[in-house]
Amino acid sequence: MSEYLLQMKGIDKSFSGVHALDHVDFAVRPGRVMCLAGENGCGKSTLVKIISGVYTRDEGEVYFEDKLIEHITPAEATRLGIQVIYQDLSIFPNLTVMENLAINSEITANRKLVNKKRWEETAKEALSKIGYDIDLYAKMGTLSVADKQLVAICRALLFNAKLIIMDEPTTALTKKEVDALFRTVRQLKESGIAIMFIGHKIEEIFEISDDVCVMRNGKNVFLGETRGLERKDLIYYMTGREINDDFFVPKNISEKPVLEVDKLSLKNHFDDISFKLHKGEILGITGLLGSGRTELALSLFGLEHPHSGKIIMNGREVKIKSPQQAQSLKIGYVPEDRLTEGLCLAQPIADNIELSSLKRLSKGGLIKKETIYRDAQIWVDKFKIKTDDARKNANTLSGGNQQKIVLSKWLATDLEVLVLNGPTVGVDIGAKQDIHALVHELANEGLAVIIISDDLAEVVVNCSRVLVMKAGRIVGEMEGKDITEENIREIIM
Amino acid sequence: MKDIKKKYGYTFMLLGLAAIVILFFTITKAGAFWKADVWKGIMAQFPEYGIMTLGLMFCFICGKMDMSFMMLADFATVMAVRHIVQNVTPEMDNGAVGGVIIVGILIALGIAVVGAIINAMLVTQLNIPPVMATISMQMVWLGISTAITRGDTVTGLPVLYTEIGHKTFFNWLPLPMILFIVIFLICWFILKYTVYGEKLYMVGSNEKAAKFSGINTTAVVLTSYILCDVLATIGALVMVSTMASAKADYGTSYVTRCILILVLAGVVPNGGMGKIINVLITLITIQIIATGVNLFSNLNTYYASLIWGALLVIVLILSTFMTDEGVISFKKRGK
Repeated sequence: MSEYLLQMKGIDKSFSGVHALDHVDFAVRPGRVMCLAGENGCGKSTLVKIISGVYTRDEGEVYFEDKLIEHITPAEATRLGIQVIYQDLSIFPNLTVMENLAINSEITANRKLVNKKRWEETAKEALSKIGYDIDLYAKMGTLSVADKQLVAICRALLFNAKLIIMDEPTTALTKKEVDALFRTVRQLKESGIAIMFIGHKIEEIFEISDDVCVMRNGKNVFLGETRGLERKDLIYYMTGREINDDFFVPKNISEKPVLEVDKLSLKNHFDDISFKLHKGEILGITGLLGSGRTELALSLFGLEHPHSGKIIMNGREVKIKSPQQAQSLKIGYVPEDRLTEGLCLAQPIADNIELSSLKRLSKGGLIKKETIYRDAQIWVDKFKIKTDDARKNANTLSGGNQQKIVLSKWLATDLEVLVLNGPTVGVDIGAKQDIHALVHELANEGLAVIIISDDLAEVVVNCSRVLVMKAGRIVGEMEGKDITEENIREIIM
Repeated sequence: MKDIKKKYGYTFMLLGLAAIVILFFTITKAGAFWKADVWKGIMAQFPEYGIMTLGLMFCFICGKMDMSFMMLADFATVMAVRHIVQNVTPEMDNGAVGGVIIVGILIALGIAVVGAIINAMLVTQLNIPPVMATISMQMVWLGISTAITRGDTVTGLPVLYTEIGHKTFFNWLPLPMILFIVIFLICWFILKYTVYGEKLYMVGSNEKAAKFSGINTTAVVLTSYILCDVLATIGALVMVSTMASAKADYGTSYVTRCILILVLAGVVPNGGMGKIINVLITLITIQIIATGVNLFSNLNTYYASLIWGALLVIVLILSTFMTDEGVISFKKRGK
């Protein structure tokens, strides 16, 4: 018996002319964590779907426990012990934890009647596999993403999983939750289960994985042990270009602050927040989920209404009651959730870019489509948004390019303060670098920027000053060289 | 060429549908169908609910629904007709009667605006789902106007008013048709060239994102309801003129008919999409079917309803096979 649990040789797959996988070799060893890394669109998901039987390979061989598997179907994959936990977790939010855990085995056993006791036993057995404790009767939809994920893992274990594949499991998790997830992963690994992680966060790859497979443009460019791999090499494998983290060095910070926040409080969210923001600086506000960082940002944009405290713009006290008011004060806000808050996906790229600039482009309430497209094209070119026609809908673009639309929307207006909430969530490294470089450039041109993020690496690279929030209060402030991930982590928890 | 095909693919499909319908009646009722009277009838009949459909279109593009427009319009016209009937005396000359009529029309439009504001407030300020909010308002308006009229028909309109619905120019162009054309052009202009039109599609596509972009979404929704209810009332004023009376529940079948036309035209209440030209083509097709069915002496008018429903189902089934942009899509946006 070879050392591999799953071995794939020369896998090839094309979709109507697009070569998604080009003779890819891949292997997973039992009791190890394999990370499948690569930028969006590199073929990661296609490979996973071939393993899980959703797609059929055009060419190549797949061995599972040394047996050649001719044809994989989803049912066959499950029987072999392959379980995929997708990003949406495939749960029933309206059912309880117990029902979610037990429903699959009930269906497989083809039972027609419900036996609460048997369901409970199945559920308890599942939870005990990773020693996880949660209210069995809690509605799935009310749980945090982290809890949902653990329930999904428990459910996978019920099928005697030998290989668990997790599709970007850390995307919606806070650092603390990621740590908890990684503890569970290590526990599973020790019991001999192979784990396959799909992701593109460099820090996490180094933290959790034993082996790495890096894919780029449908080919695997690296397959081997994580140990001994250099960070910059990994990034090079993923992006195909050398990427250096350019730390932001403010060039001209204004003497007078453009925005002052004085003892601002919002019941149940944040309390007694004071800070000053100058032109030309990038201020980071970081904190865990629920620390009040998002609510603070929304208050600056008129979507939350603080019950006490003052906001002062250019020396004058202002009340920001609506986004329109924030906009007329030259404050822009790039929201946390690009898909639901940032974009009209089914509308053209150009119309999205100009959504906040309609006043500038119109005359007496009238506007021409040509004007919108002409103006938007400037941003498409400047930002290198990958599209051949700005008349195409926003949903034809990848996450990184979509985020560029949301940014250009605000840059197309006249701004003094730009608040970025999680500016690069779900964006791959290449686009992330573009966005960071652009924000640096804007700050040096005199824009005051606030970055709200729990991606500490991002905060460290981009911010000239950082405020750390915890339970609605500012618990630390650091500047320049003092901004390190360790320093922030020390006070954030 | 490919662009045109993509952009107007659905329009071509609707034109094809219209051609099939016309061809069908030409073959089966060759002599009777191509007569001036038939086409005069078509032009005389669809303007009243055509105007209503154009109004509801704004609500749909905005991603909202208005079930109350007909009952609100009935209430508005009942009040208008009561005002006219009570104030017009036989001694009055045409100028004085015209004055009373204008006041009556203004009363109706005022009521429509108030109803629209109530709808918009329920939807935007209290976050009640549009269908629920407007169904409730529908019953409220029906209740009020039935109570006022005791369920009776209000009659006694002066000739000057009833003429509106029956007047024709050059012996073939009805006045309501002219009104419809004017309103159609205004609506087309609003959608294509105004900032409101631009905002309308964006709000309909993703209200939250529009809000986060500094758009006053409440104002956009309110404007849409006002356009919807005011146009519905204008349609009802024409209807009242042709019927020479007003009643609390006139035109109830128009609610489903307007929705059917819009969905068939690819303007679905999910919001953010739809072309006004498609609405026009669908409107005319639907009326041709209704008139054509009447030519068969052995069929009653309800067969038109059957054909409309069947057409809608067929189009919906076809559209699930077409995934291109611009085609009806009931998939939830954003994912």
